[in-house]
Amino acid sequence: MIMSDKLCYYSKLRYVNATEKFLFSVLTLTACILSRSIIIAFLVLAVTGILTVYKGKIPLSRYIKLMTVPIVFLFLGTLAIFVNVSETPLDAFAFPIGSYYITGSVQGLFHGIQLICTALASTSCLYFLSLNTPVTDILNVLRKLHVPALILELMLLIYRYIFVIIHLASDITVSQNSRLGNIRPSTAKKSFAAMVSSVFILSVRRSGELYDALEARCYNGTLQVLSEDYPVKISEILSIAAFEILLYLAVIVIRVSGGTL
Amino acid sequence: MNQKKTLKENPEILLRAENLYYTYEGEDSPALNGLSLTIKRGKKIACMGSNGSGKTTFFLCCNGIHRPDSGTLYYNGKPFGYAKKELLSLRQKVGIVFQDPDRQLFAASVKQEISFGPLNLGCSEEETRRKVSAVLKELDITPCSHKPTYALSGGQKKLVSIADILIMEPEILILDEPAAALDPFYTETVYKIIDRITEQGITVMMATHDVNHAYLWADEILLFHEGRQLKQGTPDELFSDELLLKKTHLAQPMLLTIFHHLQSEGMISKKLRAPKNIEELKSYLSQHKDS
Ligand SMILES: Nc1ncnc2c1ncn2[C@@H]1O[C@H](COP(=O)(O)OP(=O)(O)O)[C@@H](O)[C@H]1O
Ligand SMILES: [Mg+2]
Repeated sequence: MIMSDKLCYYSKLRYVNATEKFLFSVLTLTACILSRSIIIAFLVLAVTGILTVYKGKIPLSRYIKLMTVPIVFLFLGTLAIFVNVSETPLDAFAFPIGSYYITGSVQGLFHGIQLICTALASTSCLYFLSLNTPVTDILNVLRKLHVPALILELMLLIYRYIFVIIHLASDITVSQNSRLGNIRPSTAKKSFAAMVSSVFILSVRRSGELYDALEARCYNGTLQVLSEDYPVKISEILSIAAFEILLYLAVIVIRVSGGTL
Repeated sequence: MNQKKTLKENPEILLRAENLYYTYEGEDSPALNGLSLTIKRGKKIACMGSNGSGKTTFFLCCNGIHRPDSGTLYYNGKPFGYAKKELLSLRQKVGIVFQDPDRQLFAASVKQEISFGPLNLGCSEEETRRKVSAVLKELDITPCSHKPTYALSGGQKKLVSIADILIMEPEILILDEPAAALDPFYTETVYKIIDRITEQGITVMMATHDVNHAYLWADEILLFHEGRQLKQGTPDELFSDELLLKKTHLAQPMLLTIFHHLQSEGMISKKLRAPKNIEELKSYLSQHKDS
């Protein structure tokens, strides 16, 4: 979380207009989900990966590390789809257990792989957005899209306070460790409980103090702040448009031809 | 009655507190316990006193965040009003820089953070942008203006929290222990900024525990003790009173200690007044050598 947030401030694509990046990633994401096609998924993975790593100059190792996070979840999640327990064995594989089989079908296997690829490609679209765009810029795009102000303010405060609270929690943990608070599992459990409750109390107090500080600056119920935006570049718009048109054409062709890939 | 009238009409007085009492919700003992004091326009004022003596509470009363249980505050001779409109204009004039920047900075980026005040005061976006870049330049923090707030160093956060308030063009700037948790470099930077602010004619009130700095910097010192003002006076008046210092656990500024020692040893004349700074003490010594 902290790492991915730091990365976007060094991205070479940071100063590209945020709406462009937002549209690109949302449209591409929609294409992935609509097509459910493995070909499209690989195409999208390649394009977003190249953009993030070569254009944005996000280190490849970091990018791969971040991509492995969803992979673990996806494998565990899809396991349930292509592994069945039934009385009749299916075509892909079957292990007998008593009168039942742990079994899977070729179609189920294929379906699972399709799902993993689509989900991975969709994640890469969101990574593209979040690794190259600071949260504040994303909030500005959402504001332009008329997302209710209350939700945006909540997002802003949550984003800011995640870091404050992580800091509090790590400070307390360090101080507990330096007094051997984690020397045995039983004390570790107690220390953790104490840490959580004091982080809770501290954050309640913090919110009171923050409110005072906001009031001191004439807070009137809405958190108005300047939005920073970078100019739209025609060349970028054209390349995004070209890519999306081709992508959606491909989606249509695949759907119409009824191709299974 | 008569005295009150003259005080009210004294144009030198910017802010006056009269017999303030304030108790936090759920606490037994009052945080302010009959506090009275006056703050003169254009002065540099240091608030001193041990932890829990009521400095922060008093500051929060000065811009109407806390409303005293009893007692009155006057700004420019007029008693505080607590209606929304009056509070807004008061808070524009009385700016508070909080002690811990992490409890003041709420926005994700530095520019957004600083823009909050002027936008609340109804400035247009363009005007706000202009003001933001001006204040960034003034405090020399333009280079970190593109960083997210959480990634700033403690010193940079402090400067941003000062910019937050300065941009609202207050008449009096209150700083709550501005040097707390700063390294010597940023302490010096903050003090220099405060000096520049004073030169612009803005009244500055600062809570501090640094006796040496308070002695050199302040025109006047307000000494807090258990929710009351124990004494208000010039630095040499206050710091020469050893009983008072003992009672409030304050050390004597180094310069003053040396001066008194030199006097008692007969190295310099007993008639000289306390030196304002080290240069003055040096000149006393060279005068003595010459004579
Ligand atoms: N938010 C609060 N809730 C309850 N009591 C408080 C709060 N803030 C301060 N106090 C109490 O009020 C008294 C004065 O505190 P404060 O004004 O912070 O003093 P100072 O700033 O001089 O250290 C202290 O006894 C303190 O414990
Ligand atoms: Mg305090």
